[in-house]
Amino acid sequence: MSEPTFEETQAELERVVERLERGEVGLEELAKLWERGEELYRRCAAQLAGAQGKIEELARRLDAPPPETPQ
Amino acid sequence: MKVESTEVDGRKIFTVRAFNQGIASWLERLPTVWVEGEVTELRRQDRWASVFFTLKDPESGACLAVQMPRGLFDGLRLGLVDGERVHVFGRPELYEQRGDFHLRALSIERYGLGAHLAALERLKQKLAAEGLFAADRKRRLPRIPRLIGLVTGNDAAAKRDVLTAITARFPPANVLVAETYVQGPRAAPAIIAAIAELCARGADVLVLARGGGSFEDLLPFSDEQLVRAVATCPVPVVSAVGHEQDTPLVDLAADVRASTPSVAGRLVVPDLAELQAWLERAHTGLERSARRVCERHAERLSSAHDRLRRAPALALERRRARLEATHGRLRTLSPRATLERGYAIVRAGEHLVREPPAAGTGLAVEVAGGVFGARAE
Repeated sequence: MSEPTFEETQAELERVVERLERGEVGLEELAKLWERGEELYRRCAAQLAGAQGKIEELARRLDAPPPETPQ
Repeated sequence: MKVESTEVDGRKIFTVRAFNQGIASWLERLPTVWVEGEVTELRRQDRWASVFFTLKDPESGACLAVQMPRGLFDGLRLGLVDGERVHVFGRPELYEQRGDFHLRALSIERYGLGAHLAALERLKQKLAAEGLFAADRKRRLPRIPRLIGLVTGNDAAAKRDVLTAITARFPPANVLVAETYVQGPRAAPAIIAAIAELCARGADVLVLARGGGSFEDLLPFSDEQLVRAVATCPVPVVSAVGHEQDTPLVDLAADVRASTPSVAGRLVVPDLAELQAWLERAHTGLERSARRVCERHAERLSSAHDRLRRAPALALERRRARLEATHGRLRTLSPRATLERGYAIVRAGEHLVREPPAAGTGLAVEVAGGVFGARAE
């Protein structure tokens, strides 16, 4: 399975918080949910704090396009 | 008109001005004619004395500049737009100052719908009937793209606008730019190739950006193969081609249509600041609700413990109360209370006296204060 996207992680974190907010969880489950939530949070934060993005150009072909004519 | 020339070393020489004048006066002698073609690059402004457009032969692509006095043009009330096929009545003319040749139009008549437009409309109907433009085909853009593929010409403005919008809103964005032809006959295949290559390089969303241009300039973006490539592209495509009023068919096939390249840039990335704020709120919510659940469990536990501790004393107390109550009820049933009110119990030997006894019977009388003997009379 491929790495979950930010969106998937984000959606799961939302679900965890919602379940905890409803409060109907046992202590054992609470511990598990909380740990899971923390892990999801760390993952999201890491993705957001990732290095500055890159802007790259595909290598130009030999027959580079001519400049566009002004309109 | 006489054209001035000078003789230098036996050579007859004209000035540019004189030459142009000569050609112009020669052109003037040509008859007025009707010319058929497609209107393109129509330019009309209130402050200009003339209206300009290019008349194009749709088959060969041959072009002819046309000028018409604005008053005359407006008087026709044709409401012409680029792409319409017309008959123009006029004569050739030279703008002497620049040596530019054009057709000076005296009248214009509309002649059917422009071939391009009609063909485009047919293609549009055909692709629409295939469901290529259907709303349920539109895919949602990824909230955070891993790699944005940008297809653009080397038109600095459109490319810069997209990139600026992306990096301002979401600095961690990764963009792969494919510069390609965006007009002319090589554009459509070049764009199709760029789309395929960007997808192969792992782009999970594509942006097609091109600044405004004439009707012809934007034609590749209505190319059937390109429109199909966009519709069947494995990842969502945002189109930002031409200006708001231009609607190349690729716009209809794209998953999202952006009115400008900047808008396209903002559409493909989330707002980093908003996202971080959301994440912090989620984190705070996580801690707060986890703590609340913990507290609720702790409260329930301590209240159960309290009740447990109090339970034995409570049970004892309840029994004692019940005993007292029973005792009270017992007391009210004892005859003592009746004796206190002045009644007496009379016994003859072992038996209670309920009938007058025979005279001389020895009796024992019990009153509240004690027992004394008596004799019946």
